[in-house]
Amino acid sequence: MKLAFVVQRYGADIAGGSEGHCRELAERLSVRHDITVLTTCAKDYVTWENAVSPGRTTENGVTVRRFQVTRPRRIKVFADLSDEVFDGGASPDRQHEWFRENGPDVPELIEHLRSEGSTFDLVVFWTFRYYQSYFGLPLVADRAVLVPTAEEDDAINLDVLPEFFSKPAGYLFLTPEEEQLVSDRALRPLHPSAVAGLGLEPVAPGAISRAAIDALGIPVKYLLYLGRVDRNKGCDALLENFQEYAATHPDITLVLAGPTKMQIPEHPRIRALGYVSNEVREALLAHARALVVPSWYESLSIVLLEAWNHGIPALVNGRCKVLQGQVRRANGGLYYMFPAEFDEAADYLLGHPEQRDAMGRQGLAYIEREYRWPTVLSRVEGLFDDVRYETNRRSNK
Amino acid sequence: MSDKAAAIEVDVVMAELHRRVRERMRTELSGTGGSHAFDDPEIFAEVESLLRAAAVTPEAQPLVLPELLGEPHTWRLTTKMQYQSHRSQGAASLILTLKQRILMPLFRWLFEYSRDNFERQRRTNHVLFACVQELAIESALLRRELRRLSGARSAIAPRDPSLGSPPRQ
Repeated sequence: MKLAFVVQRYGADIAGGSEGHCRELAERLSVRHDITVLTTCAKDYVTWENAVSPGRTTENGVTVRRFQVTRPRRIKVFADLSDEVFDGGASPDRQHEWFRENGPDVPELIEHLRSEGSTFDLVVFWTFRYYQSYFGLPLVADRAVLVPTAEEDDAINLDVLPEFFSKPAGYLFLTPEEEQLVSDRALRPLHPSAVAGLGLEPVAPGAISRAAIDALGIPVKYLLYLGRVDRNKGCDALLENFQEYAATHPDITLVLAGPTKMQIPEHPRIRALGYVSNEVREALLAHARALVVPSWYESLSIVLLEAWNHGIPALVNGRCKVLQGQVRRANGGLYYMFPAEFDEAADYLLGHPEQRDAMGRQGLAYIEREYRWPTVLSRVEGLFDDVRYETNRRSNK
Repeated sequence: MSDKAAAIEVDVVMAELHRRVRERMRTELSGTGGSHAFDDPEIFAEVESLLRAAAVTPEAQPLVLPELLGEPHTWRLTTKMQYQSHRSQGAASLILTLKQRILMPLFRWLFEYSRDNFERQRRTNHVLFACVQELAIESALLRRELRRLSGARSAIAPRDPSLGSPPRQ
């Protein structure tokens, strides 16, 4: 098939979840399909400043065509407009304007889709919330597959979305919870569709030593948070919960590994490592007592899957339906909604080593069933076949 | 939802953890002068279950009470900043530009501090609306059940002799 993948940023050095999902699929599917990635010259998802040259390149066997962003995001205008439209009652024009201000503003990419979109069998769009999907998808709706990467945040409640969500010819969801969320907003079941997350490569059991984290003085008994340390990721509540817990359990340490975007309290049992190398990251994952995921909003927690891939159980924010759903489907950890539940769940995981290990193994078994690349790719390609069949059937009528 | 072959069922473990958390809360509340009704663990479990359902109601879920409150601008917390002027068009645009470009950057920290608090209040309001709705639903269901039971009782109950004989037709 001749496929276009449309995404806001692209490259091996881009850390975003949806961008990583797009790149991993593009590189793996390019073995069997002719794939062109249509993207922007931006690397920074906050400003959308042009950082890469426009034009065509080939990256790991994938053709990439980059278009310039015509203006960086106007942060304050966008913040004020977000307040206005999320408050409810904003006109459709103001909501369209929200998608424009959210960016990345790439009119040339939109023009390219208008003129060349019909030369592709399918055009796959990542992330409903950005300019290129919101304004580009309707131009090629008859052959468009949307990967919404939707979360239960304010944007999902915009009034203009039911119409937008009804346009694509097919849908690729990351979890059953995301499928339900988007179907609810579209006010109907969405077909054809598939649920397929990201594939993971197996990790050889016992292959990762503690050497890298011993060098950092990481104790044996620790809970791990991995990712951006940010209020938006629920880290403020995690730090409060943990300090309360550590007051009566002084033998446990919370290790935070990832770029820090908030103030971390001085506490003898909290270790903030900042950005860590891949070697340290893997060692932290392999030897943690449990991974903690405190986020309220997720469409797929890749780090949760990575922990299970190492046989490590998780303690997640149960208010996030996706996280709770993943943990319950996998039987791979526990969830909490408020501090007392955090205490009890942490106590259980730390105080019951056999059960903890069993939950880690169950998480790994879930990864084996659902998240190995052959499984993921066969679901994605099955969806592409279904959408193309439906598209051809409609055009032959 | 869970894997049938699982050695450890998360739902089973969570049910036990919920029970322990509930008992801990009940003991703490009872010990600090909470309602005597909470001396009964079953009552407390019912109350906690009802309030928990309200507390986890998604913000996107429509509720009845806000609909009945009328036009949203008359009651809903507004977190957005609106730039307005009552003056004529030329003067108004100058004043709005001053507000937007000069005053707003100066006061943005204060605005954002207030907005965070308003957001928290808005979330609390949503939970309270959801609580009221849960209670209203429970109340309606109980009334229906009560009517059904009292109807059934009056149909089968033996007559009270003190009421005398029914009037002859």
